[in-house]
Amino acid sequence: MNLRNALPVGLALVVFVGAWKLVTIVSGFQPFILPPPEDVAVRFVEAWTEGIMAPHAAATLREVVIGFAVGAGLAVAVGYLLARSRLAERVLSPYLVAAQATPILALAPLIALWFPDGLTGKIVICALIVFFPVAVATMVGIRSVDAGLLELGRSLRATHRQIFTTLEIPAALPSILGGMRVGVTLAVVGAIVSEWAGAEQGLGWLVILARGSLFDTPLMFATLVTIAMLGVALYFLVVLVERRLVGAR
Amino acid sequence: MNPRLVRSFAAILAIVLAVTACGLGATATPSGRTKLSVGLGFIPSVQFAPFYLADRAGYYRDAGLEVTLQNRIDPELVTLIGQGAIDVGLADGTSVIPAVSQDIPIRYLATVYATYPSIVFAKVASGIAGPADLKGKRIGIPGRFGSSWIMLQALLRSVNLTPDDVEIVLYPDFGQGAAVTTGAVDAATGFANNEPIQLELQGEAVVVLHVDDVVALPGPGLIAGTSTIGSKSDAIGAFVAQTLRAMREIAADPDKGLDAAIAAVPELGQAGATQRAILLATIEMWQSDVTRRDGLGAIDRDGWTESIAFLTELGLVAKPVGVDELVDPRFLPVD
Repeated sequence: MNLRNALPVGLALVVFVGAWKLVTIVSGFQPFILPPPEDVAVRFVEAWTEGIMAPHAAATLREVVIGFAVGAGLAVAVGYLLARSRLAERVLSPYLVAAQATPILALAPLIALWFPDGLTGKIVICALIVFFPVAVATMVGIRSVDAGLLELGRSLRATHRQIFTTLEIPAALPSILGGMRVGVTLAVVGAIVSEWAGAEQGLGWLVILARGSLFDTPLMFATLVTIAMLGVALYFLVVLVERRLVGAR
Repeated sequence: MNPRLVRSFAAILAIVLAVTACGLGATATPSGRTKLSVGLGFIPSVQFAPFYLADRAGYYRDAGLEVTLQNRIDPELVTLIGQGAIDVGLADGTSVIPAVSQDIPIRYLATVYATYPSIVFAKVASGIAGPADLKGKRIGIPGRFGSSWIMLQALLRSVNLTPDDVEIVLYPDFGQGAAVTTGAVDAATGFANNEPIQLELQGEAVVVLHVDDVVALPGPGLIAGTSTIGSKSDAIGAFVAQTLRAMREIAADPDKGLDAAIAAVPELGQAGATQRAILLATIEMWQSDVTRRDGLGAIDRDGWTESIAFLTELGLVAKPVGVDELVDPRFLPVD
């Protein structure tokens, strides 16, 4: 990112922090309700330099990465099936939509009970929340592949595998990666919710600890900032991959 | 600057100011009674019988109060009371210490649970008879935070054990009681007036480990924000007095409390025997050597001093606090 592009981003950040500071002044909220940005910044630096934040961030990142990989991987396979089989779409779609419509907050405690070993339950929750947007994006992407191209491939006696790898996937990739952009941020949400349903480490657990035991509101905000930064970083990582694979859109 | 942007920003500011102003409503009703919002635990329960009795029998009303009872979880309640959004509440003493150390302006006014209600319980058949027997055992707990976690660490420390010497099994859905019943864990944290009672009613012999023998952790009591104490001093005093009056009456006649609780929460009537057992166990916990000497509601200053030291060791106290910054006993009856 060059200076010309970075300037509006920096300005937006300054406006956001300024508005936050202004709200703390105008509202008169005490710091334990809404801490000013400078308090949160100090606590953020303390939490990272004193080694409080890093192990929790690492635990959450592990859950997000594995959960996203599992969820997105399955979603691409199921999305392809939905795109190519009307029967599969008719049979599976209601369940997929129902799973998406069920609040993950309600499911998470149950999943935590079904998988009491810790990490597995968290991966399942992340995978579940990632699954739907990636599956739908894959289905839409595969269906939007130019029928003429497919016909051409078949007329040239291309095998199913060749059509899949050289025509369908490259053509559907922009759509799949679009779904993954959404999915990766949802994976962060899934990890945090899964930690609220039972954990001994992770940024979601740190939020509970800061709020429920320590009454340390700046630490809670510093943790939220870390969660947000993790989500943004992963989003841009997917964007980066997207640009490498299909170019800027 | 773009006029639309200016208008949007002004609108946001107006909303913030309006929301803030909402918290500054009038406190006196047309009848001249003082409005008092009271936060209790998250789930309506027979444990709150004194509040139900004082409310329904008109003790609060006759004392010039118009009380509204609300159900809230502990951390949320402490913050809301510190903010002044709720006037008085029933909150754990072990939450008050870290909260005040984080500059949340609240005070503990009167003890309700003079015996710390959070306990470890197990079936007698587990072979657990004391804290030392917990070594190597599977212990169910909702999470590594809050009053049960503090209590468990105190119990273990009393016999030179740490949480690493036991196997902690998390039950974030508070299913640890059922886990003891099914044998999924050897012991669990719970409340003296809840899980062990339920287990005993099922015919199971139960052993209960109390932390009071180790450190006198301050149990749930009445708390209020310092600004509320300043602005509604008379009302707070009347509320404390009438609540303690209801506690004394229920201690003398538990059925009075049970009837009031069922009248306030009719669903409780469907398990009357269980609710009665819970209430009797609750009444027992209102008492300690300190309250037997100084009366219900009395604050055990020595216990608070010990607890500050213990919570400081656990890293839960952000900056040093003294007992006088935590408790305000001025509303307790003077014999």
